[in-house]
Amino acid sequence: MGNFFNKILYGGGVIFDMCKWIILAVVLIILINKFWVSLFITDGASMEPNIHDKELVLLNVSKYSKAEPKRGDVVVVRYPGDPDNRKYVKRVIGLPGEKLEIKNGLVYINNKLLEEYYIALDVSTEPDKNVQLEPNKYYLMGDNRPFSNDSRYFGSVEKRFIVGQATTIIFPRFKSVPTLKY
Amino acid sequence: MKNKSKRFVSIGFYQRKLVFFSVIIALALIGFKYYQKPVFKADQLSSPLLSQSSRQNIAVEILPDGKLKIDGTESNKTIDFVNNELRLPVVDNPGKYMGKVVITLTLPDTVTGEVKPEILAVHGVGATNSYFKNSKTIIYEASDVSSTAIVTVIASLPKGSIKPETGTVILTSLSSIKATAWVIIGVSLPALTLLIMLFVLVYQFRRQRVDIPQKETSQPPMAIPPAVVGALLNQKVGSREIAATLVDLAQRGDIIILDRERGFAFGKGKFDQRLLTFEKLLLSKIFSEHLSSDRKEIEKRVNNHFYSKKMSLVTSGIYALATRLGYFKADPQKSLLKYRLIGILAFLLALAGFVASLVYFKDPQYIIFFWVGMMGASLVISFIASRLPIRTVIGQEVLSNWYAFKKYLTNPNEFPYSEYNQEIFQKYLPYAIVMNCESAWARRFARHNFVVPSWFLSEKVGLGLEDFCLSLFPIVSYVGRSLSAIREPGFE
Repeated sequence: MGNFFNKILYGGGVIFDMCKWIILAVVLIILINKFWVSLFITDGASMEPNIHDKELVLLNVSKYSKAEPKRGDVVVVRYPGDPDNRKYVKRVIGLPGEKLEIKNGLVYINNKLLEEYYIALDVSTEPDKNVQLEPNKYYLMGDNRPFSNDSRYFGSVEKRFIVGQATTIIFPRFKSVPTLKY
Repeated sequence: MKNKSKRFVSIGFYQRKLVFFSVIIALALIGFKYYQKPVFKADQLSSPLLSQSSRQNIAVEILPDGKLKIDGTESNKTIDFVNNELRLPVVDNPGKYMGKVVITLTLPDTVTGEVKPEILAVHGVGATNSYFKNSKTIIYEASDVSSTAIVTVIASLPKGSIKPETGTVILTSLSSIKATAWVIIGVSLPALTLLIMLFVLVYQFRRQRVDIPQKETSQPPMAIPPAVVGALLNQKVGSREIAATLVDLAQRGDIIILDRERGFAFGKGKFDQRLLTFEKLLLSKIFSEHLSSDRKEIEKRVNNHFYSKKMSLVTSGIYALATRLGYFKADPQKSLLKYRLIGILAFLLALAGFVASLVYFKDPQYIIFFWVGMMGASLVISFIASRLPIRTVIGQEVLSNWYAFKKYLTNPNEFPYSEYNQEIFQKYLPYAIVMNCESAWARRFARHNFVVPSWFLSEKVGLGLEDFCLSLFPIVSYVGRSLSAIREPGFE
């Protein structure tokens, strides 16, 4: 029994000795990944022409722990219909309390036209909508409007579902994700 | 056999390390494969496939403890206890078109306040609707549901209307604690442990203070191996103790040190029978069956092992000798093992908690800061506890005498030249090495006409004292470091 215990102790000590720095490195990576910055790969074309399919993008996870999402920010959001399993990449268009209107293919915020230089010239926003956003809810849309499943279909999204801001495309090109100067 | 040995040296691979790092690389690849999971959709629209018509009825029941029953079968899904809501994707890529989906949600009797129903449907769903059939039943309807559709039913429940199990209540309460609180706990846990351990360390050092005498003594207080002096001084056996033992063995005629233009070698000396057990083990680690062992041979013997049992036994032999002489209350190695065990157990507990938190808690899992703090605390325990003084009164007195001898070794006054003094330099050199004052000791003989010891053979001609030190110290230091690094865990 004593011999067996000694063997366990010895084996545990060997494994601990060899693996402790690897474990600490992995723990550090997980902490960074969860609370500071993370990487993800886009799947789909709804953020064209700004983010292409299968691009590796840097996600700032800590961004909205204190600050509020701004209009034009490209964010990763948990789909409110299945928050545990689905995350989407969309752009913040409407902020809490604002009146958002989609009319004649254009977007109006509080009756003022939103100039969206980041979407393709020949693209218009459909269908017509008139939404009064509740407090703490954001209206999100993909840049590739005709091919994007977003707040026009699943409604506005609470802040708790927003994971972080997609800031930079890392691979296969290196480019910061364009935001909106409003 | 000879060829095989040569092949190892030229390629620079060692079997056990190759196996270990292969395992690590394999684990890293698995980890990378797992990491590929965060593929976030820039989600596209898809249109309904209007091919065939069918009606689907789904019954969902929320049980009083928050668990769900779907079509009469208990599911492993539950409501979201933190936000008091049901958010259940009922239809998810069904693979076929459905003309109408009707979901009947039955609430438990405990729900008495206002319930807000909502239905979310994407990827090809026509109209959606939700309404109360009665106070305990909500109907959700979706029509023209495509084969790729996702239909989710949502119900916000009044607080306190669900009574989950105790375990769930604890998990929910922990999940509700704010991030700042967890970060503060995560930082203060190792910081507090560090403070307590430092307090204990200072207290113990004050209790077991070793007097540093004013006077120097010109002879070692007793004839004990330099490695034991090192163990008494530092409470651990390290590279200096091994280096000092090598020089001690050399000047006793048991080995010869050869300084070569490229590298070095050790040669077998008289190998006398009076060698101590740990000295025999050390020599058997350096030498194989040949009369000499050069740098490559020693490196091969070192690098072919993760850990060396022999070197562990060398260490424990030195500790055991020091304990037998009454210098320590308990064998330092066993005492260290006890603290090490506490540290390892705390670390493993923290790791298990960390992994469990990642599995059982939903994002954001701030609770993991607590476990990270605990890991830090466990490392602090392992690091500081092994430094707690455990010398006996005898040990303290003997150490005090050795400090008096160290004063003599480090005295800045030069020695007057005599043949006898030349011998003294060699004789006390192992003690100077183990007490970390070999340079100061050598400086006392700087102006002597130096005669190279017979146990040190060099290819260089006209070797002075400085050249001798510059040749010898790196050799024994390198071998000492290499050999002490391969001791098994718990023998440091």
